[in-house]
This record gives sequence, structure tokens and C-alpha cells, in this order.
Amino acid sequence: MRQLFHSRNLSFELFDVDILSATDEELQGVSDDAGLALSTDEMKMIRSYFETNGRNPTDVELQSLGQAWSEHCCYKSSMVFLREYLTSIDSDAVIDRGDAGIVEFDEDHAYALRIESHNHPSAVEPYGGAATGIGGIIRDVLCMGAQPVALIDPLHFGPLDLRYRDLPPGVKHPRYLMGGVVSGIRDYGNRLGIPTVSGAVIFDEGYIGNIVINVGCVGIAKKKNLTKNRVKTENDVLILVGGRTGRDGIHGVTFASVELTEDMEEQWRGGAVQLGDPILKEPLIHACLEAAERGLLNGMKDLGGGGLSCVVGEMALAGGFGAEVELEKVPLKEEGLAPWEMWVSESQERMMLAVAPENVEKILHIFKLYDVLATPVAKVIKDKIVRVKYHGEVVLELDLEFLTAGPEYCRDYATDFESMKQSEAVPDEPEDYHKAILDVIASPNIASKEWVIRQYDHEVRGSTVLKPLQGKIGLACHGDAVVLKPLESSNRCLAVTTSSTPHYTAIDPYLGGASAVDEMCRNLVSVGASPHSFSNCLNFGNPEKSDRLGAFRETVRGIGETAMALGLPTPSGNVSFYNETSFAPVKPTPVLLGVGIVDDLAKCVTTDFKMEGSSILLIGETKEELGGSEYYSLNGAYSSTVPSVDLNTLKSGMKGILTSIDDGLLLSCHDISHGGLAVAVAEMCLGGSVGAELDLTGIPNLRFDHKLFSESNTRWLVEVDSGNEDRVLSRFGDIWVRRMGTVTSDTLSIKDNGSSIEIPLDDVREAWTNTLYNLLGGGA
Amino acid sequence: MRIEDVKVCVLYIEGTNCEEESYWSFKRLGASSEKVHLKQLIGSDVNEDEKRNLLDYDIVMIPGGFSSGDYVRAGAILGARVKSSLVIELVEFGKEGRPILGICNGFQVLVELGLLPAFNGFMSPVPQVALATNDSAKYECRPSLLKHENHGNCVFTKNLPKEKVILVPVAHTEGKFVLPQSKEQEMLRKMEEMDMIVFKYVDPEGNYAGYPWNPNGSLENIAGICNAEGNIFGMMPHPERVFYQYQHPDWTRKSARKDGDGKVIFESVLEYVTKTF
Repeated sequence: MRQLFHSRNLSFELFDVDILSATDEELQGVSDDAGLALSTDEMKMIRSYFETNGRNPTDVELQSLGQAWSEHCCYKSSMVFLREYLTSIDSDAVIDRGDAGIVEFDEDHAYALRIESHNHPSAVEPYGGAATGIGGIIRDVLCMGAQPVALIDPLHFGPLDLRYRDLPPGVKHPRYLMGGVVSGIRDYGNRLGIPTVSGAVIFDEGYIGNIVINVGCVGIAKKKNLTKNRVKTENDVLILVGGRTGRDGIHGVTFASVELTEDMEEQWRGGAVQLGDPILKEPLIHACLEAAERGLLNGMKDLGGGGLSCVVGEMALAGGFGAEVELEKVPLKEEGLAPWEMWVSESQERMMLAVAPENVEKILHIFKLYDVLATPVAKVIKDKIVRVKYHGEVVLELDLEFLTAGPEYCRDYATDFESMKQSEAVPDEPEDYHKAILDVIASPNIASKEWVIRQYDHEVRGSTVLKPLQGKIGLACHGDAVVLKPLESSNRCLAVTTSSTPHYTAIDPYLGGASAVDEMCRNLVSVGASPHSFSNCLNFGNPEKSDRLGAFRETVRGIGETAMALGLPTPSGNVSFYNETSFAPVKPTPVLLGVGIVDDLAKCVTTDFKMEGSSILLIGETKEELGGSEYYSLNGAYSSTVPSVDLNTLKSGMKGILTSIDDGLLLSCHDISHGGLAVAVAEMCLGGSVGAELDLTGIPNLRFDHKLFSESNTRWLVEVDSGNEDRVLSRFGDIWVRRMGTVTSDTLSIKDNGSSIEIPLDDVREAWTNTLYNLLGGGA
Repeated sequence: MRIEDVKVCVLYIEGTNCEEESYWSFKRLGASSEKVHLKQLIGSDVNEDEKRNLLDYDIVMIPGGFSSGDYVRAGAILGARVKSSLVIELVEFGKEGRPILGICNGFQVLVELGLLPAFNGFMSPVPQVALATNDSAKYECRPSLLKHENHGNCVFTKNLPKEKVILVPVAHTEGKFVLPQSKEQEMLRKMEEMDMIVFKYVDPEGNYAGYPWNPNGSLENIAGICNAEGNIFGMMPHPERVFYQYQHPDWTRKSARKDGDGKVIFESVLEYVTKTF
């Protein structure tokens, strides 16, 4: 299609692209050749726009449209569902829904939250892909005027012990990918000094071809410093601050908006993955926050997907104006970039500030002190157009409403999932229960994540009040949520957790979505936090295939209806489609980042058992819901009955736990999730370095192994002082609750109808501790 | 002098990232604490009202982080920058007995500068010890237990009883204290004679234990040292992260309402300064 590209006779590269005379086939060819990832119909919409204007587009204009209309930027396949179920959940606490959501924290402060994906870059270049994922999510929080205070990284990989001969062509081994991703997060996050406090690591064969790497960030701001992602007045100057612009990260968003293919390595060499520089980002954060604190900003937005091409138009239009850019002013990493490359490059560590003319000098001074580049590159104009000049030549002039609106689709979707379901395959009861329990505890999805957690600085800033590992020092075990104290002068805290439920969503998308909300809420109340808001990252396959889109829609409905019933807003989110290769799509993977509020940190509760002799209570009904469970998956069994959610049970369960914690009645509390009751009690024993004696006979109508490993929602194990049982049990209304046993010294002992298991705590610890070290190496 | 008159300079550049909690550790005790960019002390790219003079301060603290990214060797770049621009003032500052504290990356900087351990004279021309890559070859973020080994020389631990064990977290990749092998025993003896050893890593029973209690493989479990004069002190663990009990990893097993184990470091030095100057 290069014959349609007519070079202008200039000292730099610029083409007029003859789409007016192009056939439909040639239009698609132009899109493919230029890497626009636009469909023929979308190209036709562009052609008709230029027909009206009586001219052909430049290559810069086509590239700009390719970015703005990508799935990644305009949510063209998902918006219709997000609007119906998620963004419509209203709350007075929500202050802004910008690049990050802004929610009230106290009278004078607000917190920011967002989670997004960095799946495709991390699949080809795990270290750089994950690092720049952190960089991007931090800018989303920063551009709201908020200080980032916590990073959260739920990660999904293929099995670490995958045989090399089972690795599909062009795909990297899960061990390599996990090593690279964790190192990337570690080296970027630790250098920035923002604690990485929470996350999850999930292993499943569904992630062999396409890993799912989500990155979340929470920030805190004085309300007076909150910044909008827009220009404010007709006189605003746009100042580009931070890193130089280069060829790295070109076509990142369009790369993220198609399926991964065998030649993805080539695309990376072509520059689709950006290069991060935390030591530029660190002072950039200081300088931007100082500018916000001094009231010098009319607006701020980060340069992420689509680079300048997205940020300029979006900021200008959000303010009701247009912008004129002098592209030659943009500081470059290397000479010889074509205008379109500068315009769409996604080079890292860049922010755009909208500044009143009288404040420009003050801004430049602040950035100079921090040795961070700051360059006025554009001015606001009255008409809603974006005009880009390069050395005097107009290389782009587009109506902003056309450029940024993008298409929106209600694509076909299929919600008949019966065909996805397999026939029930319930395993025989295990003969060796001792082994059955230790196998689940040692499975990579359940076992200790210390290998990961201790490589991240989770307490820099000194505000991590509840850590990711909780319990006796040197013996600590997984917590349900972390708690951060973001303000010096207040004991009010933010609790942060994640949930990800691909194993259920793959079987029943609606219940998987609902379960993600249930688990998030269980985690937050377990530490004593009231769930307050959440951000969502929805990782799915190709939305142009109706079954993938149907799973998406049902998952969103499950999340939305559950959150709506609880009054939980989700003021930010991200959709990542095209997570598939020619082999298979990923399991539908909804990942939630939940934030809760703790009124007084002194009341926080952790998961570790505190005291021998105290009583263990089980809150919530255990049902035969083993579909998607770790136990079934380990044993090659299958059920389509995944955990269900009952909204009234969830509400009163949360209330019962929260009031018990508020009254100081719970010594420890742990939600029951992946791995079931057996794993929850084992983890509580490990963290407290004690044993437990449970009798499950009181749980009705279930096999012993189902009692141990069912993953029914809305359940907790809590520890109370002996004598306080009734004061806690009476708070749960109709919910099934029962005293299950006692905290003991050094053995995990579980009985049921005459059967009994006794496992020394040391054996439990050995099974739990070593799995990831054995698979990944390390330790001294 | 009165505590509110004690001026603390918390020095930072790009990549220093523990300046906020370090600043507060002095501020909470009533001192006049200030975060100061190196360029404010050197006087480059700053307005008159932003310039600062190092000798106007009573305590200098170099906080943790990854100054300039630590891409060369931890602390080497900031060390070189201070050496090339501020060394005269810094040596004068130290020779007058005014305290200098380096935590984690700050400790690495003091070693790079030759201010610690500084066996011969106040500042050695080249580093005499190294804070090498951890034995685990990984970043280690974990609680550590420190036994106080100093006999009273170090002005930062005067209020801490000898042999008392405190809980202070570590977070670093390069923290393994090593001496040149040929002079190891001689230097160790000298450090003991001159009361330069301040903290050693121990396990919960108080023994000098191996990994993970000695998180990096440090020689003789050494976690922190001071100079012969006792006014310059560096340690790998982060006392500013355990100012309050509720910052301890296991506080829910105890109480949220007490002091953290790191507070004593800041109290000691402030008491020393108020009494001495």
C-alpha cells in the first residue's frame, strides 16, 4: 500500500496518504502497513471525514487516529457494559473519575486508586514491561495531584514446572517470565520509594501463552491539591515535563489491542515496549507534587498509551478548548524521529502540565532544581481542534470531537456457557487426608509467597501498619489486607487488598465476578476495614469473538450487581482485551483492587492466632461448592458448581465481623478463600506458631474433604477469648455460625465424624514455605 | 541548647526516598527538621531564599533510598557528588563533633565517603570497608533484631542499654558488611578497641545467627558502626520505620500504643546535642 503514501518535499519525513481514492481493500492495507490496527469500517469512517474536508490525511493524522481509536484508549467494545453495570454505581464519596478515581478520605483529604494491565509488554519483555507498568500506574495517580503511597501487583503465570517441550512456539517459559516481572517491579518500585504492599500470584495453564500482569496504585492528596486532567483557560500553556521522547513504546496501545502472535518478539525489537527510568520518575513525582501544593497547576495528565497524541487532545477537549502544538520543541532521545513517531511515542516518565502564563517561570524553576526537563510545547486555542506544526509545517489538524470520540460498539455476545462446562467429575474421598491437606498447602497457588514479597520494599514511607506477612517475626504468614496510615496527624487508615477469581469465572462468569467482590470485601473486613471503593482491571480474550465478550459481559454484571447492592463505587478501571494467542484465550480474569477505611488503626486485626486456649469460630455456611477449587484442580476433578454469593448473607456477615472487631472481640480473623477451611486454619496456625484442634462434625451434610476444601464464599475463621464466643456468634443473624475448636500448642488436628487428622505444625510449615523457593531458586 | 533550636538537615537527591519518614523522626521529637536538596547546599539552580549552608545545621542525616539509582555501587554516586562539592564543610561539621547519621543508603554513602569507619584520621581517602551484595543475591525486606554492642562511644545509642535487643527492619540489596580479607582480624580488633561496633544482627534468642536473621551475610553479624569519635554513625536497618510500635510487624500481638524500637536512636542524638552544644 506504500504507493498510496505520497511524500511531501520537506527536510523531514511526512506523507499524504491517498485514502480518498483507495478501495476498501487498500484501506485495510493502509491500516495494516502503518500498524494502525483499525478495521476496514473504521478506515471508512476516517475516509468519509476527510472527504468532507476535501483532502487526504497525513501519516501523522492516521497514526493519531489509530492510537485514539484503539481498544486500549477508547474502550470501544466494553463501554456499553461498563456503563450499564460499573460506572453507574454512584456514591457521594466519589470526587473525581479521572485517570485515577478520587474518593473522600476525611474532611480535608482524598485518596486516589487505579489498577490496570500491562500484559502484552510483560509477555515479550517481562522486566521492562512490568517496570513500565508500575511507572504508568504511578503517573495515573500522580496526575490527580496525589502522592502515591502503595503499589499492588496481582500476577498470573503458567505453571512454573512446565516442561520446555510443552511450551508453544514464540512463548517464554513461566519461570523466566515470573523472574523478570518480579525483578522489574522490584527494581522500579523499590527505587521510587513507593511500597509494594499487596498482590497475588496465580498459576494456571491458561496463562502459558499470555500472562496477566496487573499493576495498581493508591495515593493520598489534600483536597485542595487535587488536579483535573484538563486545561482550564484559553490562555493555558502546556508544559511537557520529565523524560525525553524516543522510539521506544511506539504502537504500544495498538500492540495491546490485538492478539499476541508468534512474532511478538519482533514487535518488541520494533519498540512496542517502553524503557523505564525510576530515577527520573522519583524527582518528577516531587516536582509535580510541589507544583500542585503551590497551586501552580491548572491541570495535569500523564503521557501513557498513545503519548502526546492522546494527552494533548484529551486535556484540551476536556477543558472545552483546542490546542496548537509546536512539535519541534519536544526534547528527543535521538535525532531523526519522524513527526508521527514523536507524536505517538510512549516514552516513559513524561507528564503534561496545563499552566497559566504567569506561572510558567515558577514551574520551570521547580523542575530545574530537581534536574527534570520542563518544556512548553503547546498553547490552548479556542476552537476545538488540535493542530500540530513541525518547523512551521502543519502536519496534523483534526477536529477533537472526531479524533477523541472513537467508535463504540455493541458487538455480538453469547452468554450460553453450558457448552463450556464439562461433566461432573467428583473425586473419591482421599485415603490419606494428611497428604491431601499438605498437597493443597504446598501447591504453588496456596504456598508462601515470601519469595516475592520480601523482594519488594513494603514498608518504605513508614506507613505500612499491617504488613503483607503477618504474625510472629520470622514465622509470619499471609494476611488478608494491608493497612496504611497515610497521614502523620491521624490514626485513620486505608486498607488495601486484591481479589482475582479466574478459576470460578472460567466456569461461571457471573458468579466469578460476584465472588471477586465477595472476596475483596471479606479481606477488607478481616482487618477491621469498611469496604469503601474499588478499582477493576478486566482481562479477557478477543472481544470480536462472541463467547469471550459474553464472558466479559456476565463477569461485569456479576461484579456490578454485587457492588451496587453494597453501595461500593468503582471510580476507575481498565479493560484489557485480546489476551489470547492462537492456542487459547486466558481464563476470564477479573482483578479487583479494594480499598477500605479503618477509623482507628489500634483496632486492626491480623490473621495469626494469638493465644493458646482461645476459641476458634467458623462464620458462614460451608456448601458443596468445589468448582474451580484448588483441591479439585490439583486432583484433576471438576465441578461446575462454583461458590455462589448471597447478598444479604454478605452484608450481615461483614457487619458482624466489623462490629466484633470494633468491640475488640476478635484476636485474629482470616477469610476462607482459595484452598478452603483447611488452608485458612493452617495459615492462622503458621503465623501464630501454634496449633489448633478443630471438630468439623457440626458442619452438616458434607464429606470430610468437602468440608476441608470447599471454597464457599462469605466465610471467616475468627479467634476469640474463651468465654466471649456468644458475644460474637450472636451478631450474625441467620448466618450459620459455630464454635469449631481451640488454639493449641504445636499440632494441627482436625476431626470429623470419627475420622481425624493430626499434622505437626513443623510439617505444615515445611510444605507451605518451600514451594516457590524450590521452583524459582534463592534463599541463602 | 533547646530541642526546638536543634536544626536537622535531612539531605536528599533524586532517588533518595526515605527522606519523609526520616524528617518526621526528628520533627516528632520537637527538633527543627528540614529536607534539604544537595543543590540547595551547593547553590546551583536555586534562588537566594532556597540556598542553605551546611554549617548552619546541628545534625546531618543521609536517609535511605537509591540515590541516583545506585546503578554503579550503592552510595557511590552521591558519595562522589558530596566529595566533589561539599566535603570541606562536611568534614568541618564532623570534626566539631556534630552528629552525622547514615541509614541504609546513607550508611553506604558514609562508607563511600571514607567517613566510616575512618581508622586513620577523620576521613580516609578511599573506602576501607564495603557493603557488598547480600548473600541471598536478592533485595531483602524483612524484620531484623539488633543487639546493642556499643559501650557508650556512639552518640546515637546513648539511651539504649548495652546488650538490649531491638527490632528494626532491613530493606536492601547491598548491605553485607565486609572488610579487606588480609586485614580482617586487625581491623575488627581495632573496631572493638575503639568502640566502633554499634549493632549486630541476632535471632530471637539473642544468638549471632545466620540467614535470615543476618539478612545479608555481614561479617561478625555487623549491622551498624560509628567512627572512633562516636559522632558519625551508619546502620543498614531502618529505625525511622519503627518509630511507633504500630509500625512493628507483630504489633497486633502486643499493643499499638507504645514507642517503636527505632525511636531511641533519634532521642539519644537529640539529647546529646541539647546537652553538648
